[in-house]
Order: sequence, then structure tokens, then C-alpha cells
Amino acid sequence: MLKNYLKIAIAVLRRRKFFTFISLFGISFTLTILLVLTAFIDKVVGDNYPDRKRDRSLYVTRMEQDGKGNMNSGALSFYFLDHYTKALKTPVKIAISSRANGTSTYINNKKIAVNYKYINAAYWDILEYDFLEGKAFGKKEVDNAEKVAVISEDMKDEYFGDIPSVIGKYIEADNVKYRVIGVVKNVPVTSYLTYSDIYLPYTVSKSDYKNKDYGGSFTGILLAPSKADVQKMHDEYEQMVKRVPMANKMYDHIYSHADTYLAAYLDTGNENQSGVLLVISIISVFVFLFMLLPTLNLVNINITRIMERSSEIGVRKAFGASSRTLVYQFIVENIILTLLGGLIGLILSVIVIHFINSLNLIANLELSINFMVLLVGLLICLFFGLLSGVYPAWRMSKLNVVTALKAQ
Amino acid sequence: MSNHLNQNIMFKHLFKLIWNKKKQNFLLMSEILVSFLVIFAVFTLVVYYYHNYKKPMGLDYQQVWVINYSNSYQTKDADSLNLFYQTLVKIIKSMPQVKQVSFTFDNTPFTQNMNTGGITVNNKIIDGVNWYTIDDNYKNVLNMTLLDGRWFDKGDDATKDRPIVINSDLKEKLFGSARALGKTIADRDNKNKMRVIGVVQAIKIKGDYASTDIGMYQRIDTGSFRWLGKMLVKVTPDADAAFEGKLYKTIANYMKNSDIEIEHLSDKRTSINYFTLVPMIVLLIVACFLIINVALGLFGVLWYNINKRRGEIGLRRAVGATGKSVSSQLVNEAMILATLSLIVGSFFAIQFPLLNLFDLPASVYIIAIFLSVIFIYLLVLVCSLYPGRQAAAIYPAVALHEE
Repeated sequence: MLKNYLKIAIAVLRRRKFFTFISLFGISFTLTILLVLTAFIDKVVGDNYPDRKRDRSLYVTRMEQDGKGNMNSGALSFYFLDHYTKALKTPVKIAISSRANGTSTYINNKKIAVNYKYINAAYWDILEYDFLEGKAFGKKEVDNAEKVAVISEDMKDEYFGDIPSVIGKYIEADNVKYRVIGVVKNVPVTSYLTYSDIYLPYTVSKSDYKNKDYGGSFTGILLAPSKADVQKMHDEYEQMVKRVPMANKMYDHIYSHADTYLAAYLDTGNENQSGVLLVISIISVFVFLFMLLPTLNLVNINITRIMERSSEIGVRKAFGASSRTLVYQFIVENIILTLLGGLIGLILSVIVIHFINSLNLIANLELSINFMVLLVGLLICLFFGLLSGVYPAWRMSKLNVVTALKAQ
Repeated sequence: MSNHLNQNIMFKHLFKLIWNKKKQNFLLMSEILVSFLVIFAVFTLVVYYYHNYKKPMGLDYQQVWVINYSNSYQTKDADSLNLFYQTLVKIIKSMPQVKQVSFTFDNTPFTQNMNTGGITVNNKIIDGVNWYTIDDNYKNVLNMTLLDGRWFDKGDDATKDRPIVINSDLKEKLFGSARALGKTIADRDNKNKMRVIGVVQAIKIKGDYASTDIGMYQRIDTGSFRWLGKMLVKVTPDADAAFEGKLYKTIANYMKNSDIEIEHLSDKRTSINYFTLVPMIVLLIVACFLIINVALGLFGVLWYNINKRRGEIGLRRAVGATGKSVSSQLVNEAMILATLSLIVGSFFAIQFPLLNLFDLPASVYIIAIFLSVIFIYLLVLVCSLYPGRQAAAIYPAVALHEE
């Protein structure tokens, strides 16, 4: 049966090449845009280098302190993370890192913009960076406030040029010389929680990390012993935040959460607005509006094509085909058409993604087509096919046999 | 008169034809309507950016560097704090490539940083005013245009009401065409009074394609240095990376505990423009493909309709209609469809300026609506011309024979 439909579908597609072209153009182009969008989202929030233990981790990125007419929201202090969060029982390890700060360094009369991040030793245990050479610094180096640095691949190329090994060499950043002990694979800047050019022990920081304020410039990643303990860890953190004394008399409320990666990544900086909800609604509205036009267009074309086939439909009806069979046939045909368009769209997306990658708009952000993207593409195709096929098919099944046959 | 009557009948007839095929035409019309709305959105953005782009920048960003410093010198004593930074300025200014140095709050040009607050004028509160906390050299570093009155100077140290300079947009909003000089403005709680001593040209602080904002400038006072973190430095054209390295070292050696970063305003302008332009370009490409899609669809449907109406057209030709009148009938039909969609579309679009959505100037919306209407008419015209001409080429004998 399906084979028959396939044959008919192909015959119809070949009959009016211009209409086929219009339909395929609309579908494939729409799909290309949506696939590139999916690849982008997938890369930005789905790429788990270097935090491969993401499903066992919770992220603490913000603290809000409220008082009468006072509100302070931002990253946390080292003291808070070290003192209060370390006291929690569930997390097996806690990574603490500052946000990436910018500075400039000058070598051979050339300026290099550098981002650096202060971290603790556990950071290297939770986040699995790929080391191209050397190794990470451990607790000993951190405790002794040794001036050592782990740098990114890009930083190595930019600062030292093309040399085989830079371990033991010195890199100057923020007017201080650090000994390079490791080089890691680049992280794109969109993974802003883990991105940096240079990673330094927090003990060498010039700022006062012992300051007992709660607000600061650090974020934490809590690692649970297993996936099942994540909820427990989340609850324990919430309980702890409720109990901590106010750091300052100005405030009477403290809000801070240990969130999943996605929630932390999309945090709006506002206690009352969920970033995940916001972003999902923006994307859905965009996708809906964006698909509306091609769908309308396809419905239009489909209806035109059905009218063209009125004699065929009349004959089939006259020989006893039920409306349901005809609707079913037409939808299958339409899905075949969308799948064909999907295939072309996929090829186009590969080309577009290749082009975007070669432009290097965002450093180290290599888009790729993966299983997730393909799945989304297939779903969109089916959805598209159903949406644009149902109404015309219904119109077709309503066609009166006599008029259908007379029309020709 | 009879010609007029004829046209009337003609249009009635066309409406009847459209009404007879309302189901199919409804789909076509909704497609045109959605295209209009998409085009309207695109044109609004393009017109808005162009509108901003035409305005003067209001500042000179060439050879201006931004020095960010943090964890600066801390002391409870305001005098020694001031002395510390005065010495720093002296050291920087002693370098031959440095022309001017100015301290400023974080909201420097071409960053996302903002500092807004409310003011009270004649017991009316106005929110969303940008506050710029700067020093006496700020205007010279950025080469801003003074429109009226004067900029700050040493003489402002001891005045009773705090002197402020407002920008042209704020002046326009508060006082219209009246002179602002000497007028009093209070803070949001209506407690501290401030006196306007000058008006400067509003600057496009968020880049070439962003609008100017309502803003006011206040002088830094004793103690401000505790929370300031940025300097603007105007350098000579021959200041290169080697000099920048030297400047960096000098500052880093003076402020031992500080993290220092030097950026160029020209680079910051490029990157903030880039953030406006890239989404715009993506949107244009997407819109372009959508329109091609719609155009092809429209063309296909109209073309098919003509093939189906061969009999009708043949009959009209047989009773004496010229090829031209047949083709213009088809084009007119399409244009009427477009007009109906455009009326509905414009009704939606006109709500934007009426309800003042998104806070854009009404003229931007009006121009965008106008351009979109023209665009859609052109699109429909182009898509119906060829099918119309095909219809004109139908021979009555052939068409009627087929029937």
C-alpha cells in the first residue's frame, strides 16, 4: 500500500515540476534555518566539555540580598562558598571559580587581551578539561599560593607562538609572571561559566578573597556522589541559605539557589523571573512565527494541486475509495514530500554550518550536525507535513464526485 | 461619467469573482497579510537603525583609551585618597603621548553598563534618566559639543546647589524649546536640588545604530574615588602598542594591588555595532528567503488559477475583450486581494505608534508601514504580471474548443 502511495507521490511530484520546486524550496529552506538554530542551541547549552559530570552537578551562580529599598544581586564571595557551602554534607566536591576577568598583556610590542579566572584545586576534579600538555595544579600549589598557571590552547599560540612545549615557561598577565604548568583544549566563550584563557590559583588573587561579605565575584559547582543525590543536595543548599545570618544589617532576605546547568546558564539575575521559561517562550514564538509563512504557502500550493487532481480523486471516489483512505493517502504523500525537502534541507544545513564555522563568528564555537539535531529535523518535517497536509486533504475528501469528474 | 460608471461595475464584478472563491482567496490573503507583518517588522528595524545612524555621534572615539582598574587604593581618609589619584593623573599626564585624562563611572561609551535613576522637575517624577558621574576633563577627552552654558570647572567645588550638565534629549523632554540654563532639578525624592549649568549634545553612547538617551552629568565629589573604576585617556595619534605597554606598566607599578585592563574606544565601538548588525543581517537573510518563498507560492497559485479559468477567459476574449483588458483584470484581482490584506495588516501595524509600543518614534513606524505597503504591492504586481500576460495570450478559439 505504502509502496503504491510512494509511486503516486513521485509521479505527482514529477508532473508539475514548478510546484514541486516551490514546495521543496519552502520546506528545505525553513528546515535549514531551524536546523542551524538547533545546532547552535545544542552547542551552546548542550555541549558538555569540560563539565562532563553535568548531570551530577549543581551550579551556584548568584546571590540576591534584599532589604528595605536595597537590593544587591550578583555573584558570590569566596568566603560564602568556602565557609557555608563546604559545610554541606551531600556534595563530595565543590569547585569555586571567579568569573573571567579581562586584562591586557604586552609582548614584543604586541597587545594581547587576556581573560583570567581564579579557581580552587577541586575545580580540576569536577571539570574534566582535556590537557594537551602538562597537568593541573593541586591543593599543595594552591595552599602555598604558588604563581602557576594553566593556559588555553589559543593563549599558548597567541603568547608563545608555534612552539612544541611551553611547560615551565613564564607568562605575564596583570603585571605578574606565572609559570605555565598545563595547556588545555579551548572552551568557547559562550560557556561562560568555564571559559577563560588563563586559570590561576585563587590564593594568588590580588583581591581580598577572605572578605566576609556574601556578594563577590565567585561561583560554585557542587558535585553530588550520584545522580540520585542531586535533589537532596539541592534541598540541603536551600535549607542552608535559609539559616545563614545576614551579612549586613541593610538586608533582611537572602536568596541563592543551587541550580541545574541550564537554569544557571539562563539565569536572568532576577529572583522573580525564570530564565528558562523566558528563553523557551522566546524561541517558541520565533519558531511559530517563522514557520507560519512557509506553512501557509505550502497549504496554498497543496490546495491548488488537489484541484488539479480532481479527476483522479473523482475516479477513485466513484470506484468506492472512502474519504478516510483519500485523506490518509494525501497526508502520506505530503509527508514524503516534506521528508524529501528535509533531506535537501539537511544538505543545505551542512553547507551553511560549514560556512558559519569558517567565518569563526564566535571563537571556538564549532557547530555540528549530530543525532539531536537530526532528530529535531525529522520531528519538524513530520509536523510540517501534517500541518500543511491536513486541511487540503480534508478539502479534497469533501470533493463531490460528480463535479470532480465533470471539471475535466 | 460613463467611464466612471464602467469602472464601478468592473470593480463590483471583480469583488464578486473574489467572493465566489472566498475559501481559496482567504488563504492567499492571509499569506499576504503575514508577509506584510514580517516585512513591516524588518522595515521598522531598518528604518530605526538608519534614523539613528544619521544622527551625529556627539563624541570623538578615536585615540581614546579606557583604563579599567579594580581593588584600588583603600583608605578612610578622603584627602589622601584624592591625593593618591591626583598623583596618578600627574604621572600619566607626564607621558608625552597623553593629551587628557578623565575619571568616570562604569557607564563609559560603547559598553552595556547603565546607571539610571529618577529626577523630579516641577513635582513631576521622570524615571530612566542616565546618570553620568564624571570629572572636569570628560568633555575634552570625548570632544563633546557644548550647546549652551558651560561645562564643569574648579569653581564648582563650593556651590550650594549641585551643578549639573544635561544633554539635549533631556533638555528637550524637560523644557522643550525654553532655555534650561539656571533651572533647578531635584533628585527622585525631591530633596537635593541641582542647578543646570550647561547643555551638551546627546551622544550615541551605545554605538552608531542605537538611539541617544536622556542623560545628565554630575561631577565626582570627594569620596567618589572609593567606587570609581575607570579612566578615559586621550592619546596622540602616534601612541602605539609599545607605548600602551609602557602606560600599562606605569599604572600597574603605581597601583600595586589593582587589576588593570586597557581597551580602545574604537574597538569597543566596532564590537557594540557588531552586536546590533549581526542579528539584523541574520533577520534580513531570513526575511529575504521568506519573501522569495511567498513570491514563488503566489506566482504558482495565480498561474494555476489562470490555467483553470481558460474557459472563462476564452469567452471574454470571444465577446470582444482585448488581451490587455483580460490581463489587467487578473492583475486587478490580485491587487484587490492585496489591498484587502493590507487594510487588515495596516490596522495591526498602526497600533504600534498609537500604543507607543517599544518606545520607538512614531515616524519610524509610519515610514515602515508606508514602505511595507509599497513593497507588498510591488511583490503582488510582479507575481501577477506574467500570469496576466499568459492569460492575454489565450486564443478564444483554442480555449473554447477545449471546453
